[in-house]
Amino acid sequence: MGAPSLEPARPATLRLSFAPDLTSAREVSVAIRKFLAEQGVAEKELFSYELCIAEASNNAVEYAEGPCRNLRPIAEALFTPSQIELRVTDHTAGFALPEKIPPPPPMTDRGRGLFLIQSVMDEVRYLRGTNENILVMRKKRRAVRTPAVPSVVGTVDPLSYEKCKRELAESVIQMAKMADELLLRSETLSSVFRCCAELGSLGKISEGFEGRLLVDLLHLTSADWYVLRMLSPDRRKLLVAAASEPDLLSVPIELPTVGKPPAGIEAAVATSRTAVRFDNRESTDQSEPLRAVGPEGAGLVCPLCFGDTLVGTIAVGRRNGDFPLGRLQDEVIRTFAEFLSIQTLNLSRQKEEVHNRVVARELEIAQDIQHLLLPRTLPQLPGFSLAGGWQSAREVGGDFYDAIALDGQRLLLMIADVMGKGVPAALFATTMRGLLRGLASRSSDPSQLLSGLNRLLYKELSSVAMFITAQVVLVDLKTRNLTAASAGHCPLLYVPRGRRSVTSLPIRGLPLGVLPDTQYPHVTARLGSPAALLLYTDGLTDTRNLSGRAYGQSRLTSWLRSQVAPGRNATELRDRLATELNRFRGDALMDDDQAFLLMTEESASPARKTPAATRRIRLKRGSFLFPSIA
Amino acid sequence: MKIENQADCLCVSEFQELTAVNAASFRDGVQFALAGSPSVIEINLSQTRFMDSSGLGALFALYRATAQRKDVVLRLLNPTPEIQQLLELTQMQQLFEIVRR
Repeated sequence: MGAPSLEPARPATLRLSFAPDLTSAREVSVAIRKFLAEQGVAEKELFSYELCIAEASNNAVEYAEGPCRNLRPIAEALFTPSQIELRVTDHTAGFALPEKIPPPPPMTDRGRGLFLIQSVMDEVRYLRGTNENILVMRKKRRAVRTPAVPSVVGTVDPLSYEKCKRELAESVIQMAKMADELLLRSETLSSVFRCCAELGSLGKISEGFEGRLLVDLLHLTSADWYVLRMLSPDRRKLLVAAASEPDLLSVPIELPTVGKPPAGIEAAVATSRTAVRFDNRESTDQSEPLRAVGPEGAGLVCPLCFGDTLVGTIAVGRRNGDFPLGRLQDEVIRTFAEFLSIQTLNLSRQKEEVHNRVVARELEIAQDIQHLLLPRTLPQLPGFSLAGGWQSAREVGGDFYDAIALDGQRLLLMIADVMGKGVPAALFATTMRGLLRGLASRSSDPSQLLSGLNRLLYKELSSVAMFITAQVVLVDLKTRNLTAASAGHCPLLYVPRGRRSVTSLPIRGLPLGVLPDTQYPHVTARLGSPAALLLYTDGLTDTRNLSGRAYGQSRLTSWLRSQVAPGRNATELRDRLATELNRFRGDALMDDDQAFLLMTEESASPARKTPAATRRIRLKRGSFLFPSIA
Repeated sequence: MKIENQADCLCVSEFQELTAVNAASFRDGVQFALAGSPSVIEINLSQTRFMDSSGLGALFALYRATAQRKDVVLRLLNPTPEIQQLLELTQMQQLFEIVRR
């Protein structure tokens, strides 16, 4: 029967946090020396390990600044017969550890500490986090045989002695495991609580919290690297969000499309939503992204998901596969992954909420612009009445109209439709209205006004590939002459002289913003009696009902024909038109903006007071906005 | 730590370690005793079991304090093999006379 192996399943570990002062740092290096001596490390080796812990602990104390000076550094020793690993966690701003520090000249005062550490240890790494860094120092050892069993004296039965010794050893290992597990669980909880406390005190999740949490995870699992990948916004790639060392910041990983094999372990984990253990020594795949942790690296890759929602992946492990992560470490990593998933989802939901609020606010602002855009009042004219209606498929739109009384007898009417909807269209509409008012003070000729507008707006419109259709009509109320020019706009409807029937007046002309120098021919006509004039945007004729049928120009013409009657004022007609359009549309959604301007011959009815409505009421979709009469 | 002036020799002895904890008091104590202008300064390391880079820094401060006086001998007495190795690694053995007796 062979003697039971006393080599522990995992490294014998001593972990000490200490007060951030030099005396405590000294006590810690003495305690670690004692611990290593108890593991059987030879006296001549102990000096080196004591020196390394002393140097690192002193640095942790001396270089901490601000509030971090109150945080306790941690010193650890992990012993196996073939390797000793020392770790010191500091709360300093950290530093860049050079690959190899040259010997400092004898005449210098400082800078010997790190040189000494690198000189006596085989491998030195510095894992940097936010105000928390770990200096990892490793030295390989030639395995030392466990001391021979002392010779048995007296009457003790050698067999029962062996049995007792074996049981004792097993109990010691069992108890050590239990103590480890307890410690690990409590540290896991406290790390999670720390993170929660941070969230609580900030009132929000701060950027980079994952990095801090993962430094804790490395601690708890005695792992030495991690790679956190997050799903890209288009959900097609895994991007590195944080990594313990710069050499692990590899390129994004494409998620496989249906039927294709995943590109590496992380992609496979993201696809299957199942955690996977890996060991680079068992694979020859050189394209595997996790080979960056070294040819002997091993670890665990966990999906970050909540329910079915994938957030990313986390890979954690050790560069030396001789010390694989145990069941308990796996469990801790899974717990962290779950916690991280929830917090990340919360963070993205918070961001989404803020975004929605910003969008809503922008729409409010845009709607205010829209209210400024439409005339609050329309000019009141002797013997005639004017009324306009407007509604948008969205909160704001690009359709608008305007009416300017040039003098006692002439009236300039305008209607326009900016291509597109929403805020950009509304902004162009605002600009155009201002320009028109400016130009109208110098010329009342519709052709000249449209050419002028095109000249002024062409550059801006063409740079964003937008255009505007518009119509300008000059009405002389005394002579009943009308002069109209059109920039690609719908024909206007009117009752011509000598007829009682409504007719359309088509006018040729390119939309504004198509060519830099465009001439707009005008047409003239005379108004009949009773006069009626309708300027409108194509949103009216394109109004569709649930069966998809458009209202159409002929239906609009027929409707207006049926409505024109002596003594009917524009306000009344406008209300009827709004009702007619809404009736036709029924429950179908509006998909274009609508605007129209009506003029009829009739003494204007007493002003229907709706000014408040034009100023502040937030429009519901599908309700017309009407200006009042000045 | 014992600091004695014997004839024109300043002897410092009986300290178990020279580290970040006691380097400053070592430096201050020796600095004070230098006022007597000794021609030999002997640091007895027989009982010194451990030294870190701050301890090396304190020895270097002593070297610097006496650098102007060419006739002063700086002597380290009986360092342990580990401390001897530390001095060699940092090339500081060049600054001191190392003696075993």
